[in-house]
Amino acid sequence: MQSIFADVGFGHFLALGAVLFAIGVAGVLLRKNVLIIMMSIELMLNAANLTILTFARMHGDLGGHSFAMIVMAVAAAEVAVGLAIVVAIFRGRRHVDVDRLNLLKH
Amino acid sequence: MSARTVTTLLIQLALGGLVAFALAGRAQAQPQQPVDAEARAQAQAQPIDPPRSSTPAGKGVSKRDQVQSPSAGAPATAAAQRTKGGLALAFWAFAALTVLGSVFVITRKNLVTAVMGMVGTFFALSALYMLLYAHFLAIIQMLVYAGAIMVLFVFVIMILNKPEDEPYAQSGKFGKGVAGVAMAYLLFRIGQVLIDVPSHLSAAQNAAPAKTAAGYDWGSTAAVGMNLFTDYLFPFEAVSLCLLIAVVGAIAIARPLKDDPSEPADAPGPAGAGGH
Repeated sequence: MQSIFADVGFGHFLALGAVLFAIGVAGVLLRKNVLIIMMSIELMLNAANLTILTFARMHGDLGGHSFAMIVMAVAAAEVAVGLAIVVAIFRGRRHVDVDRLNLLKH
Repeated sequence: MSARTVTTLLIQLALGGLVAFALAGRAQAQPQQPVDAEARAQAQAQPIDPPRSSTPAGKGVSKRDQVQSPSAGAPATAAAQRTKGGLALAFWAFAALTVLGSVFVITRKNLVTAVMGMVGTFFALSALYMLLYAHFLAIIQMLVYAGAIMVLFVFVIMILNKPEDEPYAQSGKFGKGVAGVAMAYLLFRIGQVLIDVPSHLSAAQNAAPAKTAAGYDWGSTAAVGMNLFTDYLFPFEAVSLCLLIAVVGAIAIARPLKDDPSEPADAPGPAGAGGH
């Protein structure tokens, strides 16, 4: 049996994408700071990009590259708006703790 | 120098060292490039002395291809083995850097440390995109993520510089149990994928991607641009509109309100001219 350390295939890239996505999910679920949560969302988007590009390489289809580019643009827009919301919330409340941002809950 | 600064510096040094290590592995793999590309075609017919001069096709073959070329003949075996080792080393080093950086993001209490881990993750991902022949996307990844988005994060952290008292969310025993079981299952399945993946792919999959119909290298700026501006023109225009809306929305949200009582008097906002 060949060692997995000697050769890398597409599956390794896909598994790495899955690991990265799982870490992003864990960050969103575990942390309370909004900034860390947004960074974890970025991690998940990057994991999706890695998977898309791996499949593009597998199938020789450049459409995956276009998709990844669009994902990056949407991620940039999401970060811009999200950080603006964070700044606006911090201006009024002096904290960005998601467990205490429960205005719509009560 | 506070302990936090020292920790951040140490982390940056470790990440930089990993990158240097991986780059050394790649540089070691570089000189073998033309040999293996030719040897794969001539392994059976001419076992000795593969020509050093590389044809245009040989130039297009990059290291990613050599990782998975199982059909290399006897003379190229040693070189291919070394190349393979170097490339596999590059993949594993960058994959380790990616995972390490993302773990840093979700575990560090210091926000700046988390951002630094994120920068390492993005650089390593960019290198992995290169291994997948996505040259243009790799550069864009560096410019957009490691450049623009990280700067945005650092700016916001600078604005709200407030230490957390309790960084992790509370969860009961039930939630922890469910999360543990789900995590164990996920890790098990990922390990399965990693072990079961075929290390020898078909020849068609091993080959470097063919040039596009217009004659551009696969994954290059020109090829991606042709694809984006012909087949995916509408999504491209839609995403440009999305960016415009995001810019306007971000300014509208972050602008301080008129006569906002919660606005501190001694902090003139960046958009103060428009807001007052």
